[in-house]
Amino acid sequence: MTTSPLLAIQGLRAAYGKIEALKGVDVAINAGEIVALIGANGAGKSTLMMTIFGKPRARAGQILYEGRDITDVPTHEIAHLRIAQSPEGRRIFPRMSVAENLQMGADATECTEAEREATLQRVFTLFPRLKERYDQRGGTLSGGEQQMLAIGRALMSRPRLLLLDEPSLGLAPLIARQIFDAIRTLNRQDGLTVLIVEQNANHALKLAHRGYVMVNGLITLAGTGAELLQRPEIRAAYLEGGRHG
Amino acid sequence: MTAKPATGTTSILKTAFVNALIALVLFSLMVGIRTEAGASGQLTYWTRFGELASLVAAVFGGSIVIELLRQWIGPTGAEKLVPPAVQSGMSFIGRYLAPALLIFTLLVPVIFYNQRYILDLAILVLTYVMLGWGLNVVVGLAGLLDLGYVAFYAVGAYSYGLLATNFGWSFWICLPLAGILAAFWGVLLGFPVLRLRGDYLAIVTLAFGEIIRLVIINWQELTGGPNGVSGIPRPSFFGIPLDNSDDGLAAKLGIEYSPTHRIIFLFYLILALALLTNWATIRLRRLPIGRAWEALREDEVACRALGINTTTTKLTAFATGAMFGGFAGAFFATRQGFISPESFTFQESALVLAIVVLGGMGSQLGVALAALAMIGGFELFRGLETYRMLVFGMSMVLIMIWRPRGLVGHRAPTVYLTKAKAISSDLVKEGHG
Repeated sequence: MTTSPLLAIQGLRAAYGKIEALKGVDVAINAGEIVALIGANGAGKSTLMMTIFGKPRARAGQILYEGRDITDVPTHEIAHLRIAQSPEGRRIFPRMSVAENLQMGADATECTEAEREATLQRVFTLFPRLKERYDQRGGTLSGGEQQMLAIGRALMSRPRLLLLDEPSLGLAPLIARQIFDAIRTLNRQDGLTVLIVEQNANHALKLAHRGYVMVNGLITLAGTGAELLQRPEIRAAYLEGGRHG
Repeated sequence: MTAKPATGTTSILKTAFVNALIALVLFSLMVGIRTEAGASGQLTYWTRFGELASLVAAVFGGSIVIELLRQWIGPTGAEKLVPPAVQSGMSFIGRYLAPALLIFTLLVPVIFYNQRYILDLAILVLTYVMLGWGLNVVVGLAGLLDLGYVAFYAVGAYSYGLLATNFGWSFWICLPLAGILAAFWGVLLGFPVLRLRGDYLAIVTLAFGEIIRLVIINWQELTGGPNGVSGIPRPSFFGIPLDNSDDGLAAKLGIEYSPTHRIIFLFYLILALALLTNWATIRLRRLPIGRAWEALREDEVACRALGINTTTTKLTAFATGAMFGGFAGAFFATRQGFISPESFTFQESALVLAIVVLGGMGSQLGVALAALAMIGGFELFRGLETYRMLVFGMSMVLIMIWRPRGLVGHRAPTVYLTKAKAISSDLVKEGHG
């Protein structure tokens, strides 16, 4: 791994007012990887996701994407760099139809009609449910379908890097598995690079090539998914006694 | 649909009976027994069982009517007693209502040629239809609660009034200028309120509307203050005046002059402006910017994650809405020939907002119907004199009870595979502010 990573985060600090949520985070994501970020509530996982998108702005440190410094790029322009985000809590547009939700994702990037159609068909292959529900209002979908829609919407901008914030949150285990399977397929077949934030450490680490563990705004452990799964402190903190996959 | 809710004749009768019983208990002392101080200070009383009985009967009958109405057009979930024939009739009406209304509107000057009162009222209704459609962009689509919309109406009116009286510019040059100036003020309002939503936004826009009015009152040298601007020229038919002079339109066409010509011209002018507003809104909704407005109403965070520039999106919504308000203002000035700050009070903002909310936020047809009901209905109740406001307020409350999302509460999606399917009002989230 001598080539420069797709996304390199160095010494990143971010804060909400006086409360510092990120206290110098270093993360590297190579092209074609699935990287999992695990940690307890309030560790700063979601903040890291949001800071990559410039909301909140980084107080110190650097975010390099394809070698370019994007630390101070306006939020709406970051989405045009083919980084897509499926935010925490799904945040689909409830009163708009599934079709319109997906179109919103495509609006962000300049693409030809043929490219848009091809991406749409790809989303339908991954999540056939979305095709069935195409004319339906987003808010009437089930939780799992909404998560599929949120990921599908992010995919419509044809990203190279996909940021997923807690995709299994509040989903039945079977649906969560479907979502994880789809992420794996996207990574293997489409070469999509994925950063996934999860509380479900077991699932996430099994899925990911590499993982980072975050505690109180700092990365405390890093390694391959399999390595991290074996670590006794991970097992104690996130797998046993806590939530199970 | 599985569990049968309590509907049907028995439950209606039961509700009516209970209501009547409550009325009996309440009114038996309040109405049934009348007490008065006698001549020497002693208490005299007598019974009025006739009045009591008629009141209770009214409550009983009224309850039945209300229950029936509630089950017909009432909240969702309950099985409806509406026969299928009525339902198919309703959907037929729904499909052809808008074209029928448009054709009727086009024919209004022909049908009511000699009824000046109706023509004036129609112009007034159309002005509010246009204002409603303009505000609909801001409130209905972008979800930005604007309580100061009258400010842009005022800017448009004063733009035309002052440009026309001071420089003698024609209406057709001033009309776009009024729109541009109003849009500029829309952006100016937009900047400080970019971070605000809901109640806070409402307060600031309310203040903005008042500021514009107060500036107009106090900037005497420019605006004439409370005296207003008078002698605003009437619009011409593309340069040909509509009067009984030798260059007038009537003389040129070789027909006899009538003052009604000008009224009819004004009618078609505001109709054209309103339809322009409607057309622009419908077109914009299908473009990425229109979708972005609606998405912004739904979820601002998600919008940012999708690469939407929320700043420009909000500002364009304010500017677009304000521009149409400015057009309507210019029209108002040329119709009245005189404008003063009194025409641009908060009450106007509230009225236009009520039209948008009552019509169903985001629905073009709904807004038009609500403007007709609000402005036309207000005139209709003129015979009731002091009770007019009461009847009016009550009907508004009733509409909000039965149609909480407005008269036309559904929104048609703009992206679809085969054909457009309306999203039922039952599925639209309510109380979004």
